Amino acid sequence: MPTPSHLLSPSLCAQLERLELVTRKIFRGRMKGERRSKRKGQSVEFADFRNYVAGDDLRLLDWNLYARLDKLILKLFLEEEDLHFYALIDSSLSMDFGNPTKLQYAKQLAAALAFVGLIRADRVRIETLNQKASERSPIFRGRASVWRMLQQVEAIRPSGETQLARGVKNFCLRNPGRGVVVLISDLMDKEGYETALKYFLSHEMDCFVIQVLSQEELEPDVKGDLRLVDCEDQNEAEITVSVPLLRKYQQTLNGFVGSVQQFCAKRGMHYLLANNQVPVEELVAKHLRRRGLVR
Amino acid sequence: MDTLFRNTLGPGAWAVMAAIPLAIFALYFLKLKRQPLEVPSTYLWHRVIEDLHVNSFWQRLRKSLLLFLQLLVAALAILALLRPGWQGETLAGQRFIFLVDNSASMSTTDAANHDSRLDEAKKRVASLVDQMESSMSAMVIAFAEQPVVVQEFTSNRRLLRDALERIEPTSAQTDFAGALRLADGFANPRRENVEAEEEAEEADDAPAPQQVELFIFSDGRFPSVENFSLGNLQPQFLPLGNSATQNMAISALNSRRGEDNPEQLQVFAQVLNGSADDATAVVELYLNEQLVDAMEVQLPAKGIGSATFLLSGDSSGVLRAVVDPEDGYEDRLRLDNTAYALLENERSSRVLLVTPGNSALEAALVTERAARIAKVERFAPQDLATPEFSRRVQDGNYDLIVFDQCAPPAMPAANTFFIGRLPPLESWTARQSPDTVLGPQIIDWDRSHPLLNLIELGGLQIADARLVKPPLGGRVLIDATAGPLMAIAPRDRFQDVVMGFEIVGVNEQGQRTFNTDWPRKHSFPSFWLNIVEHFAGNEASQQTHRPGELVELRLPPSNERVQIELPDGSRVPAEIDSAGQMAFQETERLGIYQVYQGGEVVRRFAVNLFDREESDVALRVSETGGDSLNAVEKLTIGYVEVAARTPNADIRKELWKGLLVLALVVLILEWYIYNRRVYI
Repeated sequence: MPTPSHLLSPSLCAQLERLELVTRKIFRGRMKGERRSKRKGQSVEFADFRNYVAGDDLRLLDWNLYARLDKLILKLFLEEEDLHFYALIDSSLSMDFGNPTKLQYAKQLAAALAFVGLIRADRVRIETLNQKASERSPIFRGRASVWRMLQQVEAIRPSGETQLARGVKNFCLRNPGRGVVVLISDLMDKEGYETALKYFLSHEMDCFVIQVLSQEELEPDVKGDLRLVDCEDQNEAEITVSVPLLRKYQQTLNGFVGSVQQFCAKRGMHYLLANNQVPVEELVAKHLRRRGLVR
Repeated sequence: MDTLFRNTLGPGAWAVMAAIPLAIFALYFLKLKRQPLEVPSTYLWHRVIEDLHVNSFWQRLRKSLLLFLQLLVAALAILALLRPGWQGETLAGQRFIFLVDNSASMSTTDAANHDSRLDEAKKRVASLVDQMESSMSAMVIAFAEQPVVVQEFTSNRRLLRDALERIEPTSAQTDFAGALRLADGFANPRRENVEAEEEAEEADDAPAPQQVELFIFSDGRFPSVENFSLGNLQPQFLPLGNSATQNMAISALNSRRGEDNPEQLQVFAQVLNGSADDATAVVELYLNEQLVDAMEVQLPAKGIGSATFLLSGDSSGVLRAVVDPEDGYEDRLRLDNTAYALLENERSSRVLLVTPGNSALEAALVTERAARIAKVERFAPQDLATPEFSRRVQDGNYDLIVFDQCAPPAMPAANTFFIGRLPPLESWTARQSPDTVLGPQIIDWDRSHPLLNLIELGGLQIADARLVKPPLGGRVLIDATAGPLMAIAPRDRFQDVVMGFEIVGVNEQGQRTFNTDWPRKHSFPSFWLNIVEHFAGNEASQQTHRPGELVELRLPPSNERVQIELPDGSRVPAEIDSAGQMAFQETERLGIYQVYQGGEVVRRFAVNLFDREESDVALRVSETGGDSLNAVEKLTIGYVEVAARTPNADIRKELWKGLLVLALVVLILEWYIYNRRVYI
């Protein structure tokens, strides 16, 4: 069994330590974290003033201003809190393709993001799509949990079919709270991805969809007369490879990716297409930072 | 048989051919058991296929493009087997004779790519041979000086093609009639009993004898053939060459002593211009490969010019004359630009005249021309029995001995001419009647014999004569009312002539009288000149021979091996009979032939083309045919006129090579498409 350090190289760890997870939504953390929340609360960082209204905590009154202006004015501070970070990995058989396999890539990506979360004292939970509704994953918190987190990620094995909608539904049932969820999948579900993503919306999660596709899917290198067999449901498709066919495939792929992107954009989700040939470091440092998942 | 396709296969083979496309179909669909390939998801692929199914017809076409290409390859190959072609000479008939001229003029390089006419002829015969079907048979005859059967009737095309390769150009003249007779012998084999055959035909209505197509590949440098019946032969004349071809040739080269100044040797060269334009040329004369002189000659169109060179009288050796045309003159036949002649120190012949005295005869034998040929020595008849005589007439000393009114005790080893006496030979004397006839009138004489060439004997008066009956093998030369008066008969390698009447006789009183008035006639000195030329004539005058001609030489008899060195330096052995006669036929090449006997050159002779017909290589154009400018003159064989077929247009253009190349290209295309997934 490969050691968990397979997932995170030391250099990647060093790079990741400088980052933190970000969310644009205002979530109520359960504990104090290291994160400056958009919520106003109790911390040392000043945020704003506002007039006192009846019922406000008298502890927040700025007594110096009251002395000077004879007005009750509240002094607001930025709240520092922790964040729920969920990584939802599609571990279906279809992810077990490519070099590195899409699953391996997804695991690396999840581990990297989880590592960032653990460093910043966020609550991190890593789950897969084919987990049952009752089967909960442990929640990791703090730097000390990195090793356990890596072990859990490493233990994920490809199995079963892609059932996006059911997996997401189960995930939402298990995790009713808000937070940042990163769905790492190839989205190749014959029943469509839309239902699945809508579950996230209903839970008001800050949702990142990272579609991992292998090079073979992006630019298939096939020739001749082929009978394509779906590795999950053994569905077959007979093709005779030709330039128009490949062109059509590219069009279809682009259309598919474009439709996911549009779907996500319309619903305030973040979408990122990841090629398994792009190193995880680059993806995290460049693309995810640009998308606003990390900072 | 149509002209577009030629079937090359039998029904069985065609059945196999028809099975090929079916096999391709079968293999194609077997092959369509697609290779399985596991993919992460067929989600996108299904959508792709659904989209493409919209124009599924084209999709299906594309799918089976490889199948179409394979079928196309098979179709092209099958089409190639059908041997499509056009504009061909159709080989109608079952039996063919290809007459290929390989005479000197066929070496003219005026075919395409500067190939010779013979090469062109071979190509065209080969293209005809290619069209032969298995039921057809053909033979090849090459003809120049003599026709040669290169390949007898066969249906084996490879044998025919090999035979074609064996035909080599010669320097010889054309004997078309001989070739026709040879072809006739093969085509009409039962001609001798035509009558019997006719009867048989009438009797049981036998099928007509098989027609034989006779293809004549020649440039037509030969006269019309007369007195020839074609019989079953169906001639077709395929002329080769070009009517505008230019050629320059030396058509004569000889030497002689000057009439005025015998010390000088005149060398005369005649140059032929076979072009429709006037031309100039330089004639160079080499003696033993040393340039002696060169002379510019003006040549009128289609005319001749001549150059005369003067050499000192004691020159000897090999003369070579070369004609070099001016720049811009395209001399297409190089063969005839060189001519050879020999200058020998004349070995003057010796004639022994044994006579008691005959002024007329002596005068006739020492005329200027006769003296140039032979030296005449006299001998007295009373000394015939002495050893002196037998010593003098030893073998080879004299070319001719004339016995006038006398006869030797034994025949000498020489040609003899007896006047008024009979040779002391049983064969002559046994048949003669001792009587003499008085006043015989000459009624006929053998004008074709060289001895009586251009001799007029009519009105000759003869007092008395004895009849001369030649022995077996002899020939009567002069016939009179009473019987033969002169006869010739061979004896070993010599010839004996007996004239039954004396010129000068002795009457009863012992006085000399003229027995005939012949010495007063013009024919008398001419006759003796003929005698001297025939028996003692120097062979130097005949030292040039035509290529392919039989050369007969008389050599001193000896047991030494005789070899002949050909112009190219190779030596061939030659047979010589006990009398020293030698016949040699391998004279196809032009140049000097040297006869070696015992390691020494004993004789030389030159072989030259010297044939205006062969050297005038331009294709003859019909002068009467006004319809076409370039109508090649017809051949006339017997009473049949054989029109020339248009040159250049009658070679069948075969497509099969192109088709096979196309099939190969399609095959490569298919391979490329299969590997590179390039579809239309």
